[in-house]
Amino acid sequence: EDALLPAPQNISILSTNMKHFLTWSPVIVQGETVRYSVEFQGEYEREYTNESWLPIPECSLIPGTVCDISEDISAPVAYSLRVRAHSGARRSPWGAMQGLFNRSTTSLTPPLMKVIADGYHLLVELEDMGPAFQFCVLYWKKGQERRVQQKVVTEVRSAAHLDTMEAGADYCVRAQTYVEVINKSSSFSQTQCVRAQGDKSMWL
Amino acid sequence: GACRVSMSMTEIRAGFTAIKANIQARDPIRTLSILSHPHSLHKVKSSDRCCITHHLFNFYVDKVFKHCKTEDSYVNRKISSIANSFLSVRRKLGHCHEQNQCICGQESTEKLKQILANYEGLNVTSAAMKSLGELDILLDWMEKSH
Repeated sequence: EDALLPAPQNISILSTNMKHFLTWSPVIVQGETVRYSVEFQGEYEREYTNESWLPIPECSLIPGTVCDISEDISAPVAYSLRVRAHSGARRSPWGAMQGLFNRSTTSLTPPLMKVIADGYHLLVELEDMGPAFQFCVLYWKKGQERRVQQKVVTEVRSAAHLDTMEAGADYCVRAQTYVEVINKSSSFSQTQCVRAQGDKSMWL
Repeated sequence: GACRVSMSMTEIRAGFTAIKANIQARDPIRTLSILSHPHSLHKVKSSDRCCITHHLFNFYVDKVFKHCKTEDSYVNRKISSIANSFLSVRRKLGHCHEQNQCICGQESTEKLKQILANYEGLNVTSAAMKSLGELDILLDWMEKSH
């Protein structure tokens, strides 16, 4: 009876910025609600515990066809993933993802960034992308593109101070994300430029 | 010899901290230590550190993690995360060993023998659970001495 319920197909992972989502095609059974369960297996399980699988309770008997597996893909090894369908008391065979998944293949995007001229101070606010993320920020005075300076920002809860600007000058900034555990960087963001406040005239 | 290996200590510590209380609660024999009896890891000479680290990672990968399965899915997932991280680091340490950068002296050989004797003095599940509960002893020693 179980064999009538087909295994889920097209199992794949969408991974961006260290958030990994397993997706699959729905199993269609007329007039019935189909649910799904997901399990994972790391290299350790393949080599040392007889290829055992670990269930992901957050993705057990779920109605949707997406599962956030980020919490479990937490080591620098290759992982296997599998999904099966449930309908009533019936269960399908396991559908296995083609190939293995290593988190180093995640795609990294440049950070959202806001550059601020606070008087003579050049500041940058960066998107909080999670504890695994650092940011490489490049900044320069317009017209002096050969004298680019660099700052690594790890704390993003407050704006980072980059430089003290010359009065009335334009300064430009761009940034990229860096994830140390996979030793990988994103491309650079668009450049943003701001102008420092002009000189204040003094009444003498 | 010198052996530089990159590892994400933060991730391993986070995984262990999440289950430490649960694991240590399963260890009824608190008077015994596997890693620290009779001498602390901190007494190991710097020249022996690479060897001890390499062999302790072998110890955890080969002997400990696989005997630590629990009835708690969350704990099992964290153990899997730590075990897979250890497997990745163990591979890098192995490369050092192959390039003779991780020589074992008399003292480290004795220390490793003692750890295995402590381990084999208990039944395998108790020994594995106790060793896992002592993981922070290893992590503290690695951070302090490396």
